[in-house]
Amino acid sequence: MNRKISAGLYFTCLAAILAAIGCVFYLINTKTAYFAGKGVSTPVVACLAIAVICAIVYIVVGLKDTPVWADILPIATSALLMAGLMNFAAARINGIAAIMTFENNESNMADLKSAIIGIVLVAIAWIISIIASFMDVSRSVEK
Amino acid sequence: MGKRGSQRLWRGLASITASVTVLSLVGTSMVNSFRTDIDKFLGTSSTKLVTNEGDEGERYAYTSDYANTTELVQGIADLGERIQEEGTVLLKNENNALPLSSEETSKISLLGFSSYYPVQGGDMGSSLTPNVGTDADTVDLVQAMEAKGFSINSDLKAMYEALLPTFQTEVNNWGQISLLNSITAPAFGENGSIFTSKEPSQEVMKSQNANWKDAIAKDNTIIITIARAAGENRNYTPGEAGVDASQNLNQSDPLGLSDDERDLIAAAVDSKNANGGKVIVLLNNASAMEVQEIHDNAGVDAILEIGLPGGYGFYGVCDILSGDANPSGHLADTYAVKNSLSPAAANYGTYMWANANPEIYINSLLVEAEGIYKGYKYYETRYADSVLGQGNANGAAGSQSGSWNYDEEVTYPFGYGLSYTTFEQTVDSVNVDLGAKTVTAQITVKNTGSVAGKDAVQLYVSVPYTDYDKTNSVEKSAIQLLDYAKTGVIEPGATETVTITADAQYMASWDSNSDNAAGTKGSYILDAGDYYFTVGNGSHEAMNNVLAAQGQSTNGNAANVKTWNLGNLDNLTFAETKNGTKVENQLADMDYNYWEEGTVTYLSRSDWEGTWPKTYEGLTANDKMMEYLDNDIYEMTSDNGELPAFGSDNGLTLADLKGVSDLDDERWSQLMDQITLEECMIREGFGGTSTKAIDSISSPEAVQNDGPNGIYSYPLGQYANTDASSGDPCAISENDKNAEYKCGVISNETVIAATFNKELAKEFGVTMGNYSLWSNLPIAWAASANIHRCPYNARNHEYYSEDPMLSAGMASAFVEGGKEKGLIIAIKHFAFNDTEINRSGIATFMTEQAAREGELRCYQKAVEDAGTLGVMTAYNRVGVTADNAHTGLLINILRGEWGFKGLMSEDFIMDPNYVHLKEAVIAGVTMSCNTGDNTMEAVSGYYSYWTKENVENDAVLTAALKRNMTYQAYALANSNAMDGYTSSTHLERINTWYDNLLIALEVIFALLTLVCVAMYVKSSKKEA
Repeated sequence: MNRKISAGLYFTCLAAILAAIGCVFYLINTKTAYFAGKGVSTPVVACLAIAVICAIVYIVVGLKDTPVWADILPIATSALLMAGLMNFAAARINGIAAIMTFENNESNMADLKSAIIGIVLVAIAWIISIIASFMDVSRSVEK
Repeated sequence: MGKRGSQRLWRGLASITASVTVLSLVGTSMVNSFRTDIDKFLGTSSTKLVTNEGDEGERYAYTSDYANTTELVQGIADLGERIQEEGTVLLKNENNALPLSSEETSKISLLGFSSYYPVQGGDMGSSLTPNVGTDADTVDLVQAMEAKGFSINSDLKAMYEALLPTFQTEVNNWGQISLLNSITAPAFGENGSIFTSKEPSQEVMKSQNANWKDAIAKDNTIIITIARAAGENRNYTPGEAGVDASQNLNQSDPLGLSDDERDLIAAAVDSKNANGGKVIVLLNNASAMEVQEIHDNAGVDAILEIGLPGGYGFYGVCDILSGDANPSGHLADTYAVKNSLSPAAANYGTYMWANANPEIYINSLLVEAEGIYKGYKYYETRYADSVLGQGNANGAAGSQSGSWNYDEEVTYPFGYGLSYTTFEQTVDSVNVDLGAKTVTAQITVKNTGSVAGKDAVQLYVSVPYTDYDKTNSVEKSAIQLLDYAKTGVIEPGATETVTITADAQYMASWDSNSDNAAGTKGSYILDAGDYYFTVGNGSHEAMNNVLAAQGQSTNGNAANVKTWNLGNLDNLTFAETKNGTKVENQLADMDYNYWEEGTVTYLSRSDWEGTWPKTYEGLTANDKMMEYLDNDIYEMTSDNGELPAFGSDNGLTLADLKGVSDLDDERWSQLMDQITLEECMIREGFGGTSTKAIDSISSPEAVQNDGPNGIYSYPLGQYANTDASSGDPCAISENDKNAEYKCGVISNETVIAATFNKELAKEFGVTMGNYSLWSNLPIAWAASANIHRCPYNARNHEYYSEDPMLSAGMASAFVEGGKEKGLIIAIKHFAFNDTEINRSGIATFMTEQAAREGELRCYQKAVEDAGTLGVMTAYNRVGVTADNAHTGLLINILRGEWGFKGLMSEDFIMDPNYVHLKEAVIAGVTMSCNTGDNTMEAVSGYYSYWTKENVENDAVLTAALKRNMTYQAYALANSNAMDGYTSSTHLERINTWYDNLLIALEVIFALLTLVCVAMYVKSSKKEA
């Protein structure tokens, strides 16, 4: 039997890419003037990085005949993305409130932008990962 | 569905349920981080007080003057009405046009959309909180008139109501969009802070109701309201640059009139001339308007300055109109003909540093080159010098016509106000006692008219301006308010003798070059020479009295002046403060010349023309300045001294020190030895919205509130005790009619100042204290005392006056009243937050003399005499140093010279860099306003350097932390925050409905995840 790529591959890839970009935006955001003083949150980076790794492993494994244990990976990916998303938002919620209100200026708004983009990307990644978890990355087809 | 299909289905569902499980788990953590704010928002409580059985200690130390909330809110309404009655200023009353007869009140025509939609509070900050369905509903002008039996023309009312969409304005308050019906003040940074007139033109009115002029012909008691709004983060731009040029309304200043307003007044006057009647103008504003043309308009019979009257003030305005109350208010600010010509206005604007760096809040600077000459101290001193022919006072600088003339520059002087009767004030005696450091004046007030009324006694002093002063750059206002008092109601023909015992230190001047008791430089001095004491209906009358006494040909009354002579310059009497602290220069770094010598010329009466302020803009901060501007001022270290004790077990609770006002009582140090370093660090970093509980000393949570027009952050019932069995005398029922009542209802602070009645200000404090007992809200950021440097600061409504002593008297009395009921009324914004322009970061420069004799005197009395237990600091920089990091101001002056013992919060600074946490701790700030979880991880996550490892070995920092927490605990122990507590009382955590919801979600979705996994396994086996 041969294996044929299915839609799950594209969704999983997309989720991984968005999560990775979201993580990069988070790291960029931690270097901005407004948020630099708050440091880097280990839970955010760890959750997003591990989620991306889970997705990649699932793709690699899934392109062959998917072993049963591998089905834990999309669940882990979704759960980790949610954990990363919530921690990301929690780390920025005070700043968002302040910048949208009492500290609203161009510089702070620019700093806030990368945080918002990052949060939105991770949120989209989570939604796509949920969709992907209903699909395989490949399916077997008879010759 | 095949095997793989089932597996995919259960796998996907497991992903969803696992994600939701994670969501609820992390959500629980987030909830814990923001629990206080969530509870405030939802009106829930996560804790309850538990007192051990058998503990018979006194739980409630303060008692309310009211039996229930009905009495309470009706008492507030009554106070609001009386404050407005005494704070409304009658500026003009030709032919005794006021008060109105009952016939005249039965035919009122209200003109101007602000008559129907007045400004009753700030667009933001000290905003009116409307109350409906309570025992004391708030009212506007129309509702108040109807309640007082006035009859209002309904056609005009209908016309303006139909035009409502034309003068509504959408405002953005920190992201919250709302639609205001009243005129609004320009937001800083929004469209260049341009004012847009909304008054309907004659054409618009005619198109809405072609016969509207018939209404004013018939109901010919015509009242026109002209309004200018106010608000936090609001700003008026001086001159034509500050108005919307596209409107083409011939408006030369946002605080001046537009043609639409002129036309409205003209139409009213024309109608009166044709049909009889009266034209009365109500000025509904907090920033002094330019109203010379209304004053000059012979057709306008009367002008009333009503300020922003809050929720009940219009009852008082009606009482003034009808004569049920006799006006006794006096202006808290000078009403100049052209505000933009004042020396302070020369440096009022956005002046960016040439090397600005907004990322670290290096934005703009402000050089207050006018020095001490703010408000009437400028106008009257220049007037005196013009009469005396000295200092080039008649020059062109600051003049309208090219030659300065007082009458062309001032419409109504500071302290001016008329009555329906007349009074004669006689200075019987003045006794200066430098040993007691007092000036005692006895003044007899006689009612020489035919109506009973109150009068304000304004005691002024004119101090000598000597060659020594000129040599040493000491400036002297030719006249200054020293103290004041309000009489009781004096019947016609009757007299009342008023004795004022003024604090003599407030007639001393700061001399930065003087030797002092500390062996350094800087002291308060009294110059050798004659001191003139007098009274007057405003600063100008007082000035004329003094000039007459000096032999000048003015229309002053020399007989009403008492003199006192000091033989030699005295720099010793006030070289030590009331608590024995030796004074010295503390704010030398506020002078720009300290950093760049010779850059700034400060205004001097020795040469008005030659020292007239230029605009300081485009300046570049040098390297030395940048060391302070970069926000990183204190370097944490170790091995710098003996570390203080933390975490001891001495068996005390804060309740054991309830009411212990002696900080030297050894129990204080024993109690505070129990606190842990971690608790100190968390509470310093996360002090916002409420002062949280501290377990080791059993310190309770104390909820913080705004504001200057009454406690309004939360409804009365949100934190009220609803447990009748608790023994709380101020417990309310769950369905109390006034539970949703919010108390932002009192007239704005300029009205309170205009009462010149400290007893009334104190009564306001007592009333808010009562309110705090019922609402369980023990901290109010309420006595705003920043000086009115310029009318263009649209936040002036939250501050009292251009005069520091008027402000000081009111703030002090307010604080004193609150303390009677255990309410911590904090003074704010300490200090120099006198503009909303770039307030986070703006570097404010002035001479130390201007700082100490101007802005700082607004607060000094509330600290030294009233013993305030709270201070809120400011956003701005003091010179180049962040306000929160300035130890000269916050430690050496506030806590040192003045003896402040209490909690000190930052203003709403969210940026962890600009919070300056470590520097603020050193400077005595007890809390930032940020919030977060009660853990070191949370606070260290917010301020990356704020770790136990970094702090615990720094003896200076840890000692400062402990000191600050001691002051904070001291404030709470001496407030009603401890009501309900005895030694054994402690807080117990309880689950709210949202906690239960989260727990349920966690359990349900964890189970569902397991179910999905099980189904996955089952489907795999089944297929196998």
